Order: sequence, then C-alpha cells, then structure tokens
Amino acid sequence: MVELLSNSSHLHVLLNHVPTIGFGLALAMFLVALARNNDGLKRTGLALFFVVATVAIATYVTGNGAESVIKGRPDVSQTAIRAHEDAALLAFTFMEVTGFFAWLALWQWRRVPRLAGWNVPVVLILAVASFLLMAKAATLGGEITHAEIRSAAEAIELGHQAFDRDARYYDLDPQKLLEGDALEPLLPDFKVQKAQDLFEAIGYGKVATRRVLARLVPGQAFREKLASDAAAVEPSGTARAIGLFVSGQTWVWPTCETLHFVGLCMLFTVVLIVDLRMLGMIKSVSFEAVYQLLPIGMLGFGINLVTGMLFFIGVPGQYVHNGTFFFKIVFVLLGGLNVLYFTLDDEPWAVKAGQDAPLTAKIAAASAIFVWVAVLFCGHMLPFIGNAF
Amino acid sequence: MDFLVYLEQSQFSIWVRESGSLFAFPGILLLHTYGMAVLVGIVLAIDLRILGFAPGLPLAPIGKFLPLLWVAFWINAATGTILLIADATTKMTNPDFFIKMGFIFLAVIVQRKIQSGVFRAPQIGAGALPPNAKILAVVSMTCWLGAITAGRLLAYVGPVSGLNLK
Repeated sequence: MVELLSNSSHLHVLLNHVPTIGFGLALAMFLVALARNNDGLKRTGLALFFVVATVAIATYVTGNGAESVIKGRPDVSQTAIRAHEDAALLAFTFMEVTGFFAWLALWQWRRVPRLAGWNVPVVLILAVASFLLMAKAATLGGEITHAEIRSAAEAIELGHQAFDRDARYYDLDPQKLLEGDALEPLLPDFKVQKAQDLFEAIGYGKVATRRVLARLVPGQAFREKLASDAAAVEPSGTARAIGLFVSGQTWVWPTCETLHFVGLCMLFTVVLIVDLRMLGMIKSVSFEAVYQLLPIGMLGFGINLVTGMLFFIGVPGQYVHNGTFFFKIVFVLLGGLNVLYFTLDDEPWAVKAGQDAPLTAKIAAASAIFVWVAVLFCGHMLPFIGNAF
Repeated sequence: MDFLVYLEQSQFSIWVRESGSLFAFPGILLLHTYGMAVLVGIVLAIDLRILGFAPGLPLAPIGKFLPLLWVAFWINAATGTILLIADATTKMTNPDFFIKMGFIFLAVIVQRKIQSGVFRAPQIGAGALPPNAKILAVVSMTCWLGAITAGRLLAYVGPVSGLNLK
C-alpha cells in the first residue's frame, strides 16, 4: 500500500490538477464574495487558498519522482521537463506566499472583527498571479507525455519511432539496419524474446536506442560518438541552477540546516503552549490570548518550508524514493489542516480564561502534538530509516 | 588525550557509534533534537513575550512551562554527554564545540536571571517587567541561536568525525 502510494509518478498525476483547479475555484469564490460582500464566503475562499497551497507542497515534491520515472524515455523531452519544472517552481512560490497571506488574513479576522483593509488586495493580486503561473505550469506539464500509463501497442509504435529518429540522427537508414534478422542475435542481451518486445522496451523507456544502435553498427568511432552524446549536459533551468547553488556552495547547506532548526523551535513554541493550554496546562489563560502566538509558528513553518524546499531542489534524488520523506510530507499536510481548525473554528475561541476546552479542541490539540512530533521524527530519520545522504 | 581515547574506545561508545541500532546514534540524536525543540521553543515564547510580542498573553502563567524547559535541558545535557563520549577525541579538539558550550553556559545564566528577575518578581502579577528584562531576552535568544548554529556547524568545521551525518 505504502509502496503504491509513495510511487511519486502516480501521486503526481493524481495531485497535479489540485493547484490549478483548486486555486481557480478559490479565486472565483473570493471574487464573488468580494462583489457581494459576503463574509462567510470570503472566509471560505481564504481557507481554500490555504488548503490548496498546502497540498501544492505535495504536488511539487512528487514532480521530481515522476521525472525520475519517465526521463530517459525516447518520447519524453528533457527540455519539456525542465520548462515544466521551472514554471512549476515559480507558480509554487507564488502559491505558498498567497497561502501564507490568506492564513494571515484569517488570523487577523479573529482579532479585528472584519477583514483587514490591506489584506484583500494583497491576497487578490497574489492569487491571480499564482493562478496564471500555475495554469502555465500545468500546460507545460501536459506537454510531457504520460509515458508510464500507455499501452503495450502504443509503446511498440513509439519504440519504432524513436529508433527511426535516432538512426536518422546518425545518418543511418533504419530500414537497412533492421534488414533480415539483424536484431535476432542481440535479443538475449536485452533480456527479450522477440524484436517486438525490444521495441516495446524502448517505448517504455527501459532500453535506450543508443545501446541498440551501438550493437548494430560496427566500428569504434561510432561507439565513441554515441558515448560522448550520452555524457552531454542535460538542458539546464532555473530550478537546476538553484539546486546546484544549494549543493555546490559549501556554506549554503549548513546555513539552511541551522535555519531549519531555528524554524522548528519556533513551530514548537506554538505546539507546546497553544496545544498544552487546550489540554489543560495553563487554564487561567483564554484561547484568545494564546492565539496571539500562532504567527511565530507560521513564520517558523515558513522558514522551514523555504529551507526544506532548498534541500529538496538541491538533492532531489535523496528524497523522491525515500519512504520516510513521503510520511514527513503526509504529516506536514495534516499539520496544515490542524492549523486551519484553530484559525477557523469557533469552538476553541469560546474557551475563556479558567475554562476547560471542549473534547474536539482537545483531540485537535493532542493530534497537533502528535503530528509535529512525527514530522520531526521523519525528518530526523531521513538518513537512518530512509536512504538520504 | 589518553583519557579521551579511553572514553571513545569503551564498549558503550563503540555501541553508540557502530552498532547500527536505531536506539544508538540515531535515537540519542533524536532525543537531543526533541530536547532542543522543547527547550528553545519555550525559551523563544518567553523571550518574544518579554519583547512585547503577543501582548494579550499574560507572562505569569507561562512560568508553568519552566519545569518542562529544565526537563528538556537535562535530557539534552545527558544525550549531549553520550554523543560527546562517543566522539571524544574529535569533539574535544574542535574549537567550535567550546563555542557551543560557551553559548549554553551564558544562556543558562541568563535563563536563571530571567526566572529570578522576571518570574519571581512581585510585579509580574500586574504584568510589569523589570527594566533589564528586554536586554536579558535579547541576550537569551542570541545565546540559544548561537548554540544551535555552533552545534550544527560541528558537522562541518574543525575536526569532523564519521559520526556526524550531515
């Protein structure tokens, strides 16, 4: 089950519509709410911005996993992947900032009984920009074909196309190369029975056409040319440039790690004081009073999202097929929902000084402690249980 | 130095370093991380509150978290000692380790001053703060952030052992 769920490729296909459709929906809702001056709808729109921004974290990080599964397939263009990745990173950044301001608007709303004046235009402009950028990222993503879900017949067809294209690239005649049973002696090396199976393997990206050509065409010179083409640098992009900066400069990684630690302490400030109040530790204080601490935790979360994403972009390979990282992201999403409960729900707000919190608030508080302890556990265990570093 | 080698080569140190058990190095470091989160988490809440953040939150009840803060401190003192023994020759020759200890020493003194000067002061019930409280809060935050930074850098600067997983 975990194996299946943590297959980033499936997950990315499952999650990649959420940011675009979700933000579109939230934006429409927010605009209607502003036009009609409907406070309830405004609040729902803001909450939806926050939820979609949270899910977008999972959408982004599953993207690299999907990439590692499909790259190398003859029908998948590296340039298309890089273009999608860069567009997605920009859209993701805008979306997270929008989500943060949407949450801040909801937080302020409790303290001042109306939406703060500056917040509406800020959230609106950011949301429109995020939606447009995300729509562009989604379009570019659609241009990367879904090789992993195609049928065997399609794969064979694509395998033939890729073989013909690559043969012509080297000024070879594909018909002539395959004359007679030229492929027959090679089949056992590629662990297939029939020539058709070999083309299917090429179509699924399991076998590179380069390897087949190297076996079909005699001569050392041709083999060396193929090898130098294979070693050629992949098309670059903004995300890759950031990644190289993070993993290449000696001071960046330790700095980010230190900030990640500071961020987690800020988050724990809130987890401890707000949630332990709900569980009955400092009953003399009302929820309204401890609620003022929430932005410290959100700021800590923000620091950790930025530094965490830098780690991820720096060395995606150590996270994408790491089950511990998968669980960490799941717990982060649950943590996001938990914050929303304490921001939106009226029930904790009714808890005055000296009063006991209702059962649902206690359950939410206990689950918040569990969720963030689990996030920290998964993060710490990335190199020990998972395969990072 | 002989004593450090003796510590590092003890059965216990070898178990911590080399057993591969999740309860050895990974588990001890995990406790050290949880301890840090609780300790510095509560310290930050108190310091930021003294500096004027979350003005609606009265400071006096936060004093109830002080025992928890010290439990976390002693967990980290214990786990930190184990991590030190297991890697004694590298840590004790790394200047960065003594910078970390210096920050923690100062932070503990400041924490005690905050507890005696702010929490045990008679005016705390009225929400008033002694005049030096804000300075103490700034020094406290600086020291703990310094300790975290120096601690993290132990894996990168000076003599670095195989024990430090980046």
